Amino acid sequence: MTTPLLSLDEATIKFGGLTAVNKVSFDIERGDLFGLIGPNGAGKTTCFNLITGVYKPTSGKILFKGSEIGGTPPNRIAEKGICRTFQNIRLFPSLSVVENVMVGAFLRHKTNIFSAFLYLPGAIRETEQFRAQAMALLEVVDLADVALARAADLPYGKQRRLEIARAMATQPDLLLLDEPAAGMNPQEKEELHLVVRRIRDEFQKTVLLIEHDMRFVMGLCEKIVVLDHGEEIAAGPPEAIRNDPKVIEAYLGEAV
Amino acid sequence: MKIWVVRILSIIGTLVAVFGFEFFMRGLVAQDQSLDYIYRLAVLAGLFVTLAVSLNLINGITGQFSIGHASFYMVGAYAGATLTNSLYKIQPLGPETWLFVVALGGAVAAGIAGLIVGLHSLRLKGDYLAIVTLGFGEIIRIIVFNQPFLGGSFGLNIADKNDKSLWAVLLLAILCIAVCRNLCQTPHGLAFLAVREDEVASSAMGVNVTRVKVTAFIVGSAFAGAAGALLGVYDGLITPDTFRMDVSFLILTMVVLGGTGSITGSVIAALLLFSIPEWPRFMVEGGKPWQVTGATLLAGAICLIVSVYLVKRTIDEYHGPQRTKTLRIVGIVGGGIIGTVLLGTVFGLIPVLANRTWDVGALRMVFLAVTLIVLMLIRPQGIFGHEEFGWQKAMKALRFGKPGANPT
Ligand SMILES: Nc1ncnc2c1ncn2[C@@H]1O[C@H](COP(=O)(O)OP(=O)(O)OP(=O)(O)O)[C@@H](O)[C@H]1O
Ligand SMILES: [Mg+2]
Repeated sequence: MTTPLLSLDEATIKFGGLTAVNKVSFDIERGDLFGLIGPNGAGKTTCFNLITGVYKPTSGKILFKGSEIGGTPPNRIAEKGICRTFQNIRLFPSLSVVENVMVGAFLRHKTNIFSAFLYLPGAIRETEQFRAQAMALLEVVDLADVALARAADLPYGKQRRLEIARAMATQPDLLLLDEPAAGMNPQEKEELHLVVRRIRDEFQKTVLLIEHDMRFVMGLCEKIVVLDHGEEIAAGPPEAIRNDPKVIEAYLGEAV
Repeated sequence: MKIWVVRILSIIGTLVAVFGFEFFMRGLVAQDQSLDYIYRLAVLAGLFVTLAVSLNLINGITGQFSIGHASFYMVGAYAGATLTNSLYKIQPLGPETWLFVVALGGAVAAGIAGLIVGLHSLRLKGDYLAIVTLGFGEIIRIIVFNQPFLGGSFGLNIADKNDKSLWAVLLLAILCIAVCRNLCQTPHGLAFLAVREDEVASSAMGVNVTRVKVTAFIVGSAFAGAAGALLGVYDGLITPDTFRMDVSFLILTMVVLGGTGSITGSVIAALLLFSIPEWPRFMVEGGKPWQVTGATLLAGAICLIVSVYLVKRTIDEYHGPQRTKTLRIVGIVGGGIIGTVLLGTVFGLIPVLANRTWDVGALRMVFLAVTLIVLMLIRPQGIFGHEEFGWQKAMKALRFGKPGANPT
């Protein structure tokens, strides 16, 4: 058996008296399209924060490619190959769209800062290279036509897609999407569905996504983990999740 | 290949311009010794440009709230002075080359100070960081104040001063501008800007926020230190009072007024704010400063308030092409001046207002304060906002009635 790309082993975090994530364990294999769902306040975003090093787990392990990453600083985790988007969009508002994506590419820089101070040919070449890569990614998420606009001026749906492009620019092995479809209209969701699939199939990324829209998750993800009050209450393929009594109860009769 | 040709040509061009200016100024001073103060003003202007642009790297580009920039200026000045006093006699270099050594010495000393302060920026944000930087400035000043070997409150004499160093000051200012501008054009600079915009998101994208902040502090303070070292060597005397808190605030004001993050803005604002208190020097007639009557002052104040209100309203209401907006501002300001003259004449009929007069020189700081207030009311985001000057943009702004030319 190969080692999973990411595995959580009884990952737990407590904030004072509140256990936001309680002994959650799951494995994500390379190439998975993995869903993480649960009612509001279930601890999904906190899981992302554990994986990306924003918080250090109180106990339990988080293994990426077989090595422990719990408590590693966020920028080191991005370098290791995990990148995320944010539930409350966190773009660089006054930078342009293409510059936002270029920041994502920054962690692959080869030139040192002195060549940037002096604008040596190496730095110029790298800038052009990153810009070209950023433009290519903007094509993928269909934002190339607004590349020079300020990120803050984009409508909501486009900002979400820009976050995906920015995260993709780090060339991660594992992409974490926190409610990528939130605030989108049905047509935008349809387009997003295709983009996420393309990211997996064409770019061969592994994707872990949080989403409240059940139709969206069930139609997209091949494996799903359900959290409720920080506990893992179900895991499996969409069909099994849909009929799981515990899940139905957690969502209190909401159509699953 | 082409890059190098352009680069070498622009360096040569810069050198020609700088030394051309140096010799022009020296010629001026040689003709009339009393014009020496103009040379000095040019030196100080160059130093303030360096200070404003380097603080802009920390505050504007990286988004750290540092308000103690004069302390790095001071560290550089004392380092340069000590270096000169102890080594100048035994060094084999000429006085010109020595300027490079001094500037480097000041830069290194201030860079280390910047590192120390920068490390605090990792834990502290916003106002709290501001207090630390301010406190640091005062601590350094008080330490120097009480060190006899640094001259204490009397200041430190530099026996081997070099008062022909305008060229070095200008080169430093240009280098500082070039470094900041170059940085901002590369992904490295984008990482700095990203830290300003959102620290959490930048670290999630793999930006080492710690390193970016500390680098900004080191580089920004190193430039301030080099400026301080050149000031010391130019003046031949430095006292702790030269680096009081109000100097820090003046530099900070330059950055804010120019538009935080805009290098062009910092340069323009530095020149503007530095020069405003100096204008009254030139308002002299027959060897005596202009007299301003109470009538003119009162009329000016009224017209100023009215025109600021009108300009602000025009800008708020009217989002047409740049050009028309500019024309309106010019019109209103012109109207304000005419209004002042007319109103002044009317008020002049009132004896109390007509007979009370001031030397224009006494009003220097009033000019500065009024300019600040007016500019902040008209353009709270600073003269340039986040924008930079670019030839393409300038051409576009000059073109008639084509507002759609901006890419959105
Ligand atoms: N830094 C923190 N300090 C204290 N409590 C926290 C912190 N972060 C999260 N929590 C708590 O942990 C619980 C889980 O929050 P989390 O944001 O992970 O939920 P979620 O599943 O993402 O919900 P939603 O669907 O609303 O986004 C909540 O009760 C929240 O208040
Ligand atoms: Mg959440």
